[in-house]
Amino acid sequence: MAAHRHREREREMESKIEAATGKLVVKKVGGKSTVTRCFSKYPLKFIIPNKVGSSETDAVWVYTLTYGGGIVSGDSISCEITVADACTAVLTTQASTKVYKSLGSKSSEQILEKQIFRVVLDSSLVIVDWITSGRHESGEKWDFELYRSTNHIFLEGDQPLFLDSVLLEQGNITNIAERMQDYQVIAMVILLGPKLKQIQIQVQENVRRMMSEQLYLPSTGLRPHGKTQSDHFLAKPSFVVSCSAFGPKGIGIVVRIAAMTTESVYRFLQHQLAGMETLLGVSPYS
Amino acid sequence: MEDDQANVSHGKEKQASVELPLHWSEWQLLDSILPTGGFAHSFGLEAAIQARLISCPDDLRTYVIHILENTGSLLLPFVCTATMSPDLETWHKLDRMLDATLTNEVSRKASTAQGSALLRVAASVFTEVPSLKKMREISLSFGDVAFHHAPLFGIICGLLGLHRGTSQRAYMFITLRDIISAATRLNLVGPLGAAVLQHQIAFVAEAMLKKWKDRAVEEACQTSPLLDTVQGCHAYLFSRLFCS
Repeated sequence: MAAHRHREREREMESKIEAATGKLVVKKVGGKSTVTRCFSKYPLKFIIPNKVGSSETDAVWVYTLTYGGGIVSGDSISCEITVADACTAVLTTQASTKVYKSLGSKSSEQILEKQIFRVVLDSSLVIVDWITSGRHESGEKWDFELYRSTNHIFLEGDQPLFLDSVLLEQGNITNIAERMQDYQVIAMVILLGPKLKQIQIQVQENVRRMMSEQLYLPSTGLRPHGKTQSDHFLAKPSFVVSCSAFGPKGIGIVVRIAAMTTESVYRFLQHQLAGMETLLGVSPYS
Repeated sequence: MEDDQANVSHGKEKQASVELPLHWSEWQLLDSILPTGGFAHSFGLEAAIQARLISCPDDLRTYVIHILENTGSLLLPFVCTATMSPDLETWHKLDRMLDATLTNEVSRKASTAQGSALLRVAASVFTEVPSLKKMREISLSFGDVAFHHAPLFGIICGLLGLHRGTSQRAYMFITLRDIISAATRLNLVGPLGAAVLQHQIAFVAEAMLKKWKDRAVEEACQTSPLLDTVQGCHAYLFSRLFCS
């Protein structure tokens, strides 16, 4: 019975997503990557500055905003973005999107996000997608009911290249906070395309080096009762990151992060993506 | 070649030995002694230990439950669809989709290693189902089939005549079986404690199954991004027992 209700609710959400669509098309116009089509509906808004960085770089920056700076229960956001051959596009938010509790309803928020990217072999694509647990300093930790973020990338029409969907849902067996342990931020960075090869190699190397220092065998076995106290060597790393290649000939990499603070994620992004200044005109997260 | 494909696509194989109850094949398929190389994978447990995410038996129990939930949400749809349509075309479509869905390189490689081994064993063992061998040979000649585990498990169950309810429960079972086995080899729990834990968690696994079974592959999602991140760190471990 519960499964049936769940599926009905999901179908309802799906049809809401189909209705609330954001669409972007980036093509070469006069030799430069240009947004040729831009459509968005409430609560989504695209902001496309005319020029970001130097005019020698060929890159379009698109900022997504939600009206009111946040999302409330009942909102649905979906984006469809088309990037043509040899173009470069960056999609990001101006500030973090805040999820607000509806007045009077305790933890009843359900947020679904779906983004579909259709690329061709020469395209370069950078995606940064992250979510925080809420106002964790005030004790709000993963307190919402459901959050689902879907990122699909298709190559040359309909070849599935990257199909990711992360679902965070409070359940009666497992709740979200338990699944996240002490981590307050989950982030994903995708770097795709031939122009990003050097940065991909550098990021993979950096991540490997960072984590190799963080991972080691604890010298003792499991405690029979309860957890240990603040023994430094047995403390979890405050920043966990891993990097995977995907796609034919590893044309893309996906970096996954779990962190205890948002600051550490900003620092990481700033450091890893600094090398993109020449490609994008501006260093992201500077 | 075309005849082969037609035969293979029908999937209407009847068991040659009708007298043999399905249990024999089913139990052999689920027995850990079947040489499919499952013992080489820890489902991210080894990385989780070295990241100090597991420090007491309760942590282990919680970890296993989260992995089972993720198996349900991410992989059961592939097992289910494959069991219902155990033909070449469906298998290749599911294989391509899962290859794009397993974005974690560690788990993606583990899946192809286990899937390849499983099909090779099944083709040799269940000779009354000749399409297993044919499908394997055709796919090897294509060169771009990844041989992912979950769809193949579903295909084999389907061709053996197992119902999708059984194949999905079986997939949860072998996942539980393999993580528990890895936990004992990682000295997190002794063999008897492992057996006790496995039975306790079976109740939870059944609940997970009820929640996640019979869904379409388009709905597949991951529910433990922290564990996915940690499992992705497996390649950075200095000393390791397992491949994943």
